[in-house]
Amino acid sequence: MHFLATLVAIGLVLAGCGPADGPAVSGPPLKTYRHFMDQAPTTLDPVQGSNIYANFVILNAYDTLYSYKYLARPYELKPNLAADFPTISPDGLEYTIRLKKGVHFINDPCFPGGRGREVVAEDFIYSIKRQFDPKSQPQGAWLWQGRIAGLEEWKAAGSDYDKPVSGLRAIDSHTLEIRLIRPYPQLVATLAQGYAALVPREAVEKYGKGLGVRPVGSGPFKLISYDTAHIVMERNREFRQEPVDLAFEGYAPATQSFSGVEAIQGRSPPFVDRLEFNFINEKSAAWTSFTKGDEIQLTELPPEQVDRVLASKQPVVLRPEYASKYHTLAGLEAGFIFETFNMDFPEFGYNPDPERQRRNKALRCAVIKGFDWEARNNSWYFGLGKYYPGIIVPASPEFDSEMSRISVTRDVEGARRLLSDNGWTPENLPRILYATVGGSSERLRFEQFRAWMRDIGFPREKIVPKTYAAFGDISRAWKRSELPFVTMAWGLDYPDAENTLQLFYGPNKSPGSNNANWKNAEFDRLYDQTAVMLPSPERTAIYRRMNQLVIDDCVAITGLSRTRIYLWHKNVIAYPDREILGGFWLRYVDVMPAKDAGAASRVAEGN
Amino acid sequence: MNAVVLPGVAVPRVRGESLWRKAARKFARDRLGMVALAVVLVYLVAAIGVWLGWWAMGWPDLTGTKWEPVSRGHWFGTNIIGQDIFDRAIFSTATAFEVGLIVALVATALGAIIGGFAGFFAGSWIDDVLVWLMGVLDAIPFYLFVAAVAYALTDNPWAMHVAMIATFWVGTGRLIRGEVIKLRGMEYVEAAHSIGVPEVVIIFRHILPNTSHILLVQASVMFVSAIKAEVILSFLGLGIKDGMSWGLMIDESTKEVLAGFYNNFLAASLLMFGLVMAFNAVADALQDALDPRKVG
Amino acid sequence: MEILQYSLRKLLAGLPLIVGVTLVSFALMVYFGPDQTYLLLGKNPTPEQILEVRQQLGYDQPFLQRYLGFLREIVTLDFGDASTGEPVTTLLAKTIPVSLILILPGFILGHVVGLLLALAAAYWRGRWLDKLIMAVAVTGMSVSFLIVIIGFQIVFSSSDGLDLFPVRGWNASSLGSYLTYVTVPTLATMFVALGYETRFYRSIIVEEMSRDHVRTARAFGLPESRIFFRNILKNCLIPIITRIMFSIPQVAIGGALLIESYFGIPGIGKATYEAIITGDQPVLKAVVSLTAILFVLVVVITDILYRAVDPRVTLK
Repeated sequence: MHFLATLVAIGLVLAGCGPADGPAVSGPPLKTYRHFMDQAPTTLDPVQGSNIYANFVILNAYDTLYSYKYLARPYELKPNLAADFPTISPDGLEYTIRLKKGVHFINDPCFPGGRGREVVAEDFIYSIKRQFDPKSQPQGAWLWQGRIAGLEEWKAAGSDYDKPVSGLRAIDSHTLEIRLIRPYPQLVATLAQGYAALVPREAVEKYGKGLGVRPVGSGPFKLISYDTAHIVMERNREFRQEPVDLAFEGYAPATQSFSGVEAIQGRSPPFVDRLEFNFINEKSAAWTSFTKGDEIQLTELPPEQVDRVLASKQPVVLRPEYASKYHTLAGLEAGFIFETFNMDFPEFGYNPDPERQRRNKALRCAVIKGFDWEARNNSWYFGLGKYYPGIIVPASPEFDSEMSRISVTRDVEGARRLLSDNGWTPENLPRILYATVGGSSERLRFEQFRAWMRDIGFPREKIVPKTYAAFGDISRAWKRSELPFVTMAWGLDYPDAENTLQLFYGPNKSPGSNNANWKNAEFDRLYDQTAVMLPSPERTAIYRRMNQLVIDDCVAITGLSRTRIYLWHKNVIAYPDREILGGFWLRYVDVMPAKDAGAASRVAEGN
Repeated sequence: MNAVVLPGVAVPRVRGESLWRKAARKFARDRLGMVALAVVLVYLVAAIGVWLGWWAMGWPDLTGTKWEPVSRGHWFGTNIIGQDIFDRAIFSTATAFEVGLIVALVATALGAIIGGFAGFFAGSWIDDVLVWLMGVLDAIPFYLFVAAVAYALTDNPWAMHVAMIATFWVGTGRLIRGEVIKLRGMEYVEAAHSIGVPEVVIIFRHILPNTSHILLVQASVMFVSAIKAEVILSFLGLGIKDGMSWGLMIDESTKEVLAGFYNNFLAASLLMFGLVMAFNAVADALQDALDPRKVG
Repeated sequence: MEILQYSLRKLLAGLPLIVGVTLVSFALMVYFGPDQTYLLLGKNPTPEQILEVRQQLGYDQPFLQRYLGFLREIVTLDFGDASTGEPVTTLLAKTIPVSLILILPGFILGHVVGLLLALAAAYWRGRWLDKLIMAVAVTGMSVSFLIVIIGFQIVFSSSDGLDLFPVRGWNASSLGSYLTYVTVPTLATMFVALGYETRFYRSIIVEEMSRDHVRTARAFGLPESRIFFRNILKNCLIPIITRIMFSIPQVAIGGALLIESYFGIPGIGKATYEAIITGDQPVLKAVVSLTAILFVLVVVITDILYRAVDPRVTLK
């Protein structure tokens, strides 16, 4: 009997109506969108949402007070669970936020009677408190520490959820008041992150750590299953009705109409019944899956396919055989990769001897001149990345495309001259320890670096590799300031240059995010000054001055933003983004039913 | 997959110089074995040249552009950052010998010593502890154990060697223990014991030399195992830290083969296959030559 | 009854082994393993937060206390939750079956085909077929597993090759997709195992064939086939059982690591490896104890099997 049943099941699958497509027997077919991510989230608990993959999924299961407009670029914030933007007191210290009424958590046994309770202001307060409770191993506290009043005191008093936090108050069930210690212009942006998602206390108390695999939120989707290879979610049927207004979402027909997003105008998301995340570590495997037609519907172009698929790189154009099947969109990441010296090391950083310190700076400047961004871009990013001076990335509105490119242009002669003018010889040059995690790409990056440094006069044995087996181990060494040279990637938390400038802010020194341990009085002063300023041309000018300070002191080799090239099936209506917008856009994805037949016929051909 | 089985190594009742001379004679007549030995020697010459700095010294230099095809300047083309693949492959030969020799020698010595002690003290608590230790090491799956050792030693350049040695010696240890238990009962050992020769001396001077034929075969098998394991450990990011190896080249190639660039993969895997195959054949021939039951 | 008593006694005798395996693995993987603290921290941590996380993870406790806590977890079989929040038992229950159905076809075929080849080689010992089989076996042994995996991927799954099977990913929701995904891993496993298995089986068969009682049976003119099955194959069973049984823990826990990581299959080998990389203590502890217990069980079952195939073996 079992054998027969199996045979029947195989027959069904071969006929193209496998279980993944939902009940084929009766009712309208389920609309499914199969999304691809190159890594699985580490957890789905918002309290640990620092990982971008976790954040991406969390934003679909939970609600945040604010989010980003679907189509506006540069990114623009909009209210999500909040009814409107906050009312801010004149001194910039008091934010009053009203929540939408009638929003419910999904039904879950953790609630009395299993019915999802209404989302109230207290849920937000509870969720922020969790970020200050060591027992929940939080990752987002740094966003509000020293900003929202009373949180540290609450933590010091033992993180008792029944005790109030002076800076967080629910005026009534749907009105929230946040009191700040000092103005925090990025506050609203931090409330659009997964960290700030609203989690019901009932769920935390019932599931504890288990919340990491069982989200209970009020977002557009709810989880059906979770493993290391897939997450399957279904539409939250009770999700609030909010018809899309494309003009409000920042729709730019000239550049975006190709995607067909006009079709969602006036309809209430989410549009698909079933949302599947497929985690495939190798982009090449994702490519195979994508091109099969009936598997993942969106992918990023793997580097090794670039020459095969693209007719042109600048601008990105698909070859006709691909263009007929897929939409494409190329976008720079909202983040960058860069390498810094650790200034704690006296051999090329801060030195008690002022003369040596001066020579050290010349040494660092020479290393920067010797670094070949163009070659790095060509070998590792197929020439598609964008490299630029300084630490304000193109995704920040304050990016300045007019800056001098000297600091990212290779100049071997200049570097050699700089070294010899400052008394550096192959004999007295210091050893540079270049630490990486194990892996052939990382090694090759080291070998590339070593070869460039030999070009400017370093003897081979003075550029020394150090390989860590695990990422956790190299992070520990960075955080303990044990490594003289740090290679880093940073993803923006919000589109504001403050988010990358803080990487060089003195008080953020190790174990904080300033791995360079750079300390510049003027930079720190300007940082403090801008930290309380709202966006303005004046603030932008100061940001750019700070950026120049980093470049002038030759503290970092920076930087490059990688280009992501998305491809998606033409029957999917979407405008993808994995950067600032992150998981917010999946609710707007729609799948055209007419093409389902086409997909099915490809399956049949495949067999 | 790394289980090493040595069938039919029986104990000759009487042993002396004749065993080795006879083995050498048998080996010399084994045509396949001699050809394989010649191949191994060619590789050894390549490795010695690297050690002496005669060739392949340009392996880290950026002498070309990305993924150049085979040409007169670059016999196997260039890799993703423009290094010469031929130089890297030849340099890796030396690395292979280093890894193979270090692991084989240390693991064999460790196996001989620990196995020798265990066998000599069979029945006492020393033996119990040593057998227990071997059991423990056997019980942990190989790659997980190796990975664990490598991670525990974090950035130590010898992590990979230590990890391999820590697992490889066990097989030899068991064989030697069994052999020593047999030898212990023999007259000359008992005689040495009765005239008060210290136990350590008995073990090292009188018993272990008589297991040298086992040790030789074991060492050759481990040499091959180490070279093969290096490839997999490099793939897992646990390989050698500074320098170049076939494993690292193959790891590089895993991303390239999908783009249709095979040079790294072919260069490293063919060179490695040649050495391993030849060495396997030498090990087989050695084993045959040292097996006294085979007619010489 | 006798078997039950014996098994219990043997299990008790296996206790030191369990202590040893857990102690060594605990020291290596958990105590000296990677520090998870820095993976759990936010992007801009303070020294205070680092201390808190270390405390939460128990890194601040002395070795003995942590090890004893681990033993307590083994006894109660409660390892807690993995760092994702998923209970470790659920994780194991999800990943172990995947590894088993992934590796079993190759494992079984490797042994069966290896045995058949070995029989043929032994039967025609010294003839060309024997030499051919053994040459192929040495060739198979000389290729690195990783090279086989990459090579097979090029041949079977790339557009430069036959392009027949999916490269990576895993989907066993139906028999059809299971077969497409398991084929290349199975071929790769078989290819590498065959060399070793064939040589092993051939050597023990040849050993048995040259024994006195076989010669005697021949002298009595018994039919070859009968000698083969009654006298030779039966006596080979003990080494065969030993080999198969003792590879079970490797197969069930660690053996599929390479295949799983290269083909992107969510099995126990990959899960364990990732736990080692990230220092996910609960997962590591569970796998380590499972390994130890499985090994002792294998020892006991193997002994019982010995007796089943050869009554002369006594359970003492």
